[in-house]
Amino acid sequence: MGDFKILAVDDSPTMRRIIINTLKRAGYQDVIEAQDGKDALAKLKVEKVNFVITDWNMPEMDGLTFVATLRSMEEYKNLPVLMVTTRSVKEDIMEAMKAGVNNYIVKPFTPDTLKAKIEQILAS
Amino acid sequence: MSNSSNLQQKLQTEIVELTKSINDIISNFKQLKNPIQESQVKVPMATNQLDKISEQTEAATNHMLDLIENISIREEEVIKGLNEIKELLPKDNEKINNLINGVIEKTNVNVNDAFTIMNALQFQDITAQQMNHAAALLEEIETKLTQICQVFGIDSETPEEEPRDKKERVYDPHADLYEKKTEQQVVDSMFDQGKK
Repeated sequence: MGDFKILAVDDSPTMRRIIINTLKRAGYQDVIEAQDGKDALAKLKVEKVNFVITDWNMPEMDGLTFVATLRSMEEYKNLPVLMVTTRSVKEDIMEAMKAGVNNYIVKPFTPDTLKAKIEQILAS
Repeated sequence: MSNSSNLQQKLQTEIVELTKSINDIISNFKQLKNPIQESQVKVPMATNQLDKISEQTEAATNHMLDLIENISIREEEVIKGLNEIKELLPKDNEKINNLINGVIEKTNVNVNDAFTIMNALQFQDITAQQMNHAAALLEEIETKLTQICQVFGIDSETPEEEPRDKKERVYDPHADLYEKKTEQQVVDSMFDQGKK
């Protein structure tokens, strides 16, 4: 997948490893990681990223604030963002939609769902 | 008896009753002192234990991930090696080719199973959030116990010179491995509706 780079943001090292392994198996070899929203913003400053996968509950800067911050910045206004989180209350999902996520997966996810959601976002 | 001496007697009785009640309350609080002090020590211990479980589960999960990743790498090398052997062997030897294909198939199953095990390890993130939630509740109880001690002048058992560093706890209070509030299908339809 050429120069396609994904940024995986999650405070859990276990989850980051699972997501990265799943992405690599799905053919996305170029994956970088960040442990929270603040770290992700710092990574985005130095790396050109094509797609973001982010958790919600994280210290320093949570996923929702991170997405809202991205959407307020001209250069990341259209950067595809997939939220992967345990939060499954409808109000939370609505809030994530309002913040500007392109799609949403409830943990625990299946590799097929992750792959399908990425493809769906990229196709739209 | 005059009205004033009647009132005086009534007041006296009331004061005696009041003093008795206050003494009872003090005695009850004295009885509460030990359990409160004990709880002040035990609640942080329970919080520490939860943190320890969380840390050790994470370490064990990461060790399992190391092993799974190594198994997958080795199995993929085996598949690659077997394919190379196949290339070197005469194409018309059906028996050997079938045997090699059988081993490749089984190795592929091993790789897929390792991947399934790896995905099942997502439980660690969810249980860690549940434990963080429980620890946060315990910390809330600890704070309330301290407040009770301050209000009633009970000596705190927590050494003041060594205040505990409280962790920043982030968790989803509804995190659950099995009972999700909203299924993925419903999430999908919410997004589909949102796009319309």
